[in-house]
Amino acid sequence: MESELQVLWAAIVAYVLSGVIAIFGVALGRHRERIVLGLMALGLVLQTLSLGMRWSRVGHGPFITLFEILSSNVWSLMLVFALAYWRIPKLRPSAAVVMPIMFVMMGWLMLAHPGEGHFPPTYRTPWLFIHIGMAKVFLGVTLVALGIAGVVLMRRFGIGLTRFAGLPDDRRLDELAYRFMALGLVFDTLMLITGAIWAQDAWGRYWAWDPLETWSFITWLLLAIAIHLRLTFRPQPVRNAWMIVAVFVLAFLTFFGVPFVSESPHKGAV
Amino acid sequence: MSAFPGIEAGGVEPPALLRLLRAAASLKCTLALLALLLPAIVLAYNFEQWRSWPLAVPLAGLSLNLIASVATNPAFRRQSGLLVFHLSLCGLLALVAVGRLTYLRGTLELTEGATFEGQLNTVDAGPYHAGSLDRVRFINGGFRIDYDPGLFRGATRNTVRWLDEDGGWRESVVGDQYPLTTRGYRFYTSYNKGFAPTFEFTGSNGQTELGSVHLPSYPLHELRQAREWQLPGTDRTIWIMLDFDEVILDPETSSQFRMPADYRVIVREGEHRSILAPGQTATFPEGTLRLVGLRSWMGYNVFYDWTLPWLAAAGALAALSLGTHFWQKFMNKPWDS
Repeated sequence: MESELQVLWAAIVAYVLSGVIAIFGVALGRHRERIVLGLMALGLVLQTLSLGMRWSRVGHGPFITLFEILSSNVWSLMLVFALAYWRIPKLRPSAAVVMPIMFVMMGWLMLAHPGEGHFPPTYRTPWLFIHIGMAKVFLGVTLVALGIAGVVLMRRFGIGLTRFAGLPDDRRLDELAYRFMALGLVFDTLMLITGAIWAQDAWGRYWAWDPLETWSFITWLLLAIAIHLRLTFRPQPVRNAWMIVAVFVLAFLTFFGVPFVSESPHKGAV
Repeated sequence: MSAFPGIEAGGVEPPALLRLLRAAASLKCTLALLALLLPAIVLAYNFEQWRSWPLAVPLAGLSLNLIASVATNPAFRRQSGLLVFHLSLCGLLALVAVGRLTYLRGTLELTEGATFEGQLNTVDAGPYHAGSLDRVRFINGGFRIDYDPGLFRGATRNTVRWLDEDGGWRESVVGDQYPLTTRGYRFYTSYNKGFAPTFEFTGSNGQTELGSVHLPSYPLHELRQAREWQLPGTDRTIWIMLDFDEVILDPETSSQFRMPADYRVIVREGEHRSILAPGQTATFPEGTLRLVGLRSWMGYNVFYDWTLPWLAAAGALAALSLGTHFWQKFMNKPWDS
């Protein structure tokens, strides 16, 4: 376990360095985007190695303990953001919004106990990977949307007006954020469907109003409301940005709050 | 000003029905109904008795809103991906509603070697359930369950022989996410299982009956392996306890559920107490009870909902059509433009 934790620490250091350089790059107007991207990629490679070492040692994927769930989500969120950072250069300054959120998650990960958990027999199904994969993509694209929304909101409050001046105007950013939210809706829908299929196979019911199912459904509904609000009232980008913040906060609480607050997030998940 | 009531100057006012449809089709209406669904979900989550009409009202409203949109909004009809997505959601709702009317959920316990003949211990069924549970037959052929250190349950492998719809017997291994599926019913193994002392009771009339006593779930109730049992065909209730010294499931190491090699069954009735080994008997005024042996029993959850494959198809169609809609919408303009 020692070596996999050391590799994880190295990955975290690479992520933190990339975040710090990205934030200072935005603040000081000195863009080191290739270095930031390189460090993100390095962090991803190292964390993939660490996750692989743990998977090989404990015999199952990172799906059980708080440590594993945080670690796999740091990995997936960084992967989605790094891809967006790489492919859509215009949203790169949003790293100044996204990376502090990632720092919080990494700090939480470092505090979590890296011990092992029991892997229930009902988790031995391909649906687990599909369901969790969809969930991770959903949260990842919502995080990218949040980064864009954060830039819009910071501009609204007069923060970093000059630093974010190189970015497209709020309308264009709003359009870009909407695209990520739309992607989020697709993957959130897929997550709910695959989760229901898994639940039917594993526990003999596709829906049981358990805490995680219910809060996931509420998140999906809020996302649908946010998209319909945008279509109905054509609100100002700032209002859309607040909706994105609300969706992300709810999704975050559903992912990382409910499973660790409720004694039985999924009914029958033993 | 119009010279004719109902007709506006500069154009013909649409008929009242069309006006009503357009109002019902509005996106504001959609938003209001979606917002109404939020407290309905919170209610459904917290109170089981509020899982029908508080949800049905906004969902029915959303369905009507969609139908009205399809009828009155040509732009909506032209966006085939979006249209199919919303119609798929409507289909999902309809299927869930039909499923609630025709479903069956229940539990049963079956001794190793015994045949299921359609009787459930608990049943919860929709008012129009019309399955053929009475024709389902399967035999519990025993199970294997591994335990990790700490008494964490591993995979359940339950061998069952079951009668297929052509009248032939088949054998399968079921457990966890692999239910026995026959005649639309799904039989899932559960964590509820344990030991079943099996007796032969010979009444004073000479008739012999075989019966098993399902002791409380093991290892969940490891220290309460006892229960009362009414002797077959009599009013006499006796108390039965399984006694063994060996450790079946060791919390310190990996182990497997199995029968104890050396055990006794204590039978008590009032002041009388007998300790039976396999083959030994206890006598009562109504007859003689002989301990045949020890078997296992398995608790099954039963689920029937013929809409399941259609729900999966509607869900897949919804996700696919939504993805297609956004793909078509976004592909014309680069993301980094």
